[in-house]
Amino acid sequence: MTRVFLVDDHEIVRRGISDLINAESDLEVVGESPTAAQALARIAATQPDVAVLDVRLPDGSGIDLCRSIRSAHPEVRCVMLTAYADDEASFAAVLAGAAGYVLKDIRGQKLVDGIRRVARGESLLPRATEEKVVQALRGGPGPATGAPELTLRERQVLDAIAEGLTNRQIGDRLGLAEKTVKNYVSGLFAKLGLERRTQAAVYGAQASRREIP
Amino acid sequence: MNAELGFPDAPRSELERTIEELVERATTVLRTQGRLRNLLKANRAVVEELDLKRVLRRIVEAAAELAQADYAALGVIAPDGHLEQFIHVGMPEDTVRLIGHLPEGHGLLGAVIERAEPIRLLHLGEDPRSVGFPAHHPAMDAFLGVPIRVREEVFGNLYLTNPRHGAFTDEDEELVVSLAATAGIAIDNARLFEEAQRRQRWSTALAEVTSGLLDGEADDVLPLIAERLAVVIDADLVTVAVPTSDPLTMRVAAARGTDADTLVGKEFAVAGALAGQAFQSGRPVAADERAAGVSAPWQPEVGPTVVMPLVVGGAPVGSLSVSRAPGAEPFASTELDMAAEFAAQTGLAIELTRARNDRQKLGLIDERSRIARDLHDNVIQRLFGTGLALQALAARNIETQDDVLEQVDAIDAAISEIRTAVFTLTTRRNGAELSLRHRLLDLIGEVSPGLGSAPRLTFAGPVDLHVRDEFADDVVAVVRELLANVRHASASAVEVEVALHEDRLSVTVTDDGVGIPDSVVRRSGTGNVEQRALRRGGRFSLSRRPSGGTEAAWVVPVSGGSDR
Repeated sequence: MTRVFLVDDHEIVRRGISDLINAESDLEVVGESPTAAQALARIAATQPDVAVLDVRLPDGSGIDLCRSIRSAHPEVRCVMLTAYADDEASFAAVLAGAAGYVLKDIRGQKLVDGIRRVARGESLLPRATEEKVVQALRGGPGPATGAPELTLRERQVLDAIAEGLTNRQIGDRLGLAEKTVKNYVSGLFAKLGLERRTQAAVYGAQASRREIP
Repeated sequence: MNAELGFPDAPRSELERTIEELVERATTVLRTQGRLRNLLKANRAVVEELDLKRVLRRIVEAAAELAQADYAALGVIAPDGHLEQFIHVGMPEDTVRLIGHLPEGHGLLGAVIERAEPIRLLHLGEDPRSVGFPAHHPAMDAFLGVPIRVREEVFGNLYLTNPRHGAFTDEDEELVVSLAATAGIAIDNARLFEEAQRRQRWSTALAEVTSGLLDGEADDVLPLIAERLAVVIDADLVTVAVPTSDPLTMRVAAARGTDADTLVGKEFAVAGALAGQAFQSGRPVAADERAAGVSAPWQPEVGPTVVMPLVVGGAPVGSLSVSRAPGAEPFASTELDMAAEFAAQTGLAIELTRARNDRQKLGLIDERSRIARDLHDNVIQRLFGTGLALQALAARNIETQDDVLEQVDAIDAAISEIRTAVFTLTTRRNGAELSLRHRLLDLIGEVSPGLGSAPRLTFAGPVDLHVRDEFADDVVAVVRELLANVRHASASAVEVEVALHEDRLSVTVTDDGVGIPDSVVRRSGTGNVEQRALRRGGRFSLSRRPSGGTEAAWVVPVSGGSDR
């Protein structure tokens, strides 16, 4: 029996997914949380095999939560469940150190299958996609084009993420506090373009302003 | 007169003479008093006016009356020493017309200008400095010329001729000199007043430009600047030039005045042009006459010209040229100061407008982000949750299962479309290479007007990550060509799906039209699309859908693609 934990702020979504999972004989929902804050404690208590997390949560990002879970409970495998499109979801999954992502498609029926594969230790993210995400974040074109260049530290953190290290492991390797690592990851997340869009957009608006009004 | 009669009353006759003298002196005093009263009256008349033109006329009239002269005139001296104005009284209109031109300051009139001292003559014809009169000029004999000083500078001269009492006296001269002193003050006042009014006009013009800028219609600001400047600076031509994409060239963006319409849009070389000089140096440039050789054939002949840079936020954005007709009076230093101030203030106003526009843009971006967040955080989640519930319902009710699942499919399609909308709303390009999704969204926006309704565009799989460069070029070209074909099909609904599944990328364009005419199929219409597929080891197919309309499918392999 694979034990599953759900984190999504919409009850209607949690209920739907619970029904879906509990309908399978080999899967079982052992706990849910609408927020990132409650999720960590409950996961510690319920010891799931797989956590299913929304990328956006009311009190933080699912990416940060995923990295915290992986740091504190490396045995828990994570799947990002998102309403974003595939490109953004790929970036989020790689940065989160998740085993993959599943889009919020009803008929796709990928979630149940995805949870089983992840529980078996497989990755849902093709190697090629993962490489392309790291490549794009390093400054290549992609959804994050136009973002400022990465700093040396961010680059080091990114490389470690690409290797699949947890925040704690990255902190040990680079001699940084876990909290500092978290901040670097958030900085990288900002470059995804899923957060803090306004600032980036204004940056662009100013750069294109040449004519007399 | 008999001596032997020995008139005893010789003393009486002494007395009589004395009395006569007394009476004569009294009369003189009375007359002088009368004339002083006249002087007072004249002074008052002169200082009453504030408009310079009317002040000058009052001075001439008062002088003629005061000295009881048949003819009086006031010549205003130009910087070059000639007379630039000649205001006269006493001469009938038709005589003036017959003479044809006004004095320019030669001969005796010039002598008063040169000496800057009063000149009084009994017979001006006898003076060696006289150059005589032009034809039709009435005879003039006695002459009095008195300079008028304004703040130590000789402004002009009063000329009087033909006094009714035959010759000008010492007293006449004194009175006119005294009037000239008052006249100087009156002229100074009138000038100050004019200056104040001019400043008023400038600040009004500036206020108009500023409010014009802030009112929105920002595209029209340059013509507005030109128009307002033309009104206040008393110029024959005002132009605004802006830089072009070529750093060596500037373009006339707005013009008011002589031949203005023919100038707008004309381009000229920065080098050698006053406008270019001001633009590059950031400082005003002035020329009494435009330097020779600068004029392009389209440029009108202009006289005194001043060009000011239009500086916004420390950077020049254009230049303002102000010109008068050839031979016209050069711009006064006060006018130049005001024009420079006008240019500086206009620059500030433009800067303010930009800041405001930025704020608005920011607001718009915020609003778009908010809508995107709302769609993502609420709309999609609810649809997803509802869809899951419906699906569970379908599993329990076998009879209605197909109907319910059809609804669930519709919800999935809606979610997919909203996902594209969220992407469109939240992502801005920053001048870097555009991703495939951006390029396709732009393409849809571009071709939609020709299609009747905007095609629905959806994506599946991480297409931006895997489809780049020439591959992306191919996909964009394929979508463009397929949509061009749809144009012939009179379709009301068109759908475009770009999907990355496992190691294949598929572009599917479906429509509900009458089908693509065979003539188009035979022509290159689909040939290019097929070629692009074959070159990548893929295939292209065109088929009629059972429900009517056409489905075009372009499928090519992706190396190292997604396995999803």
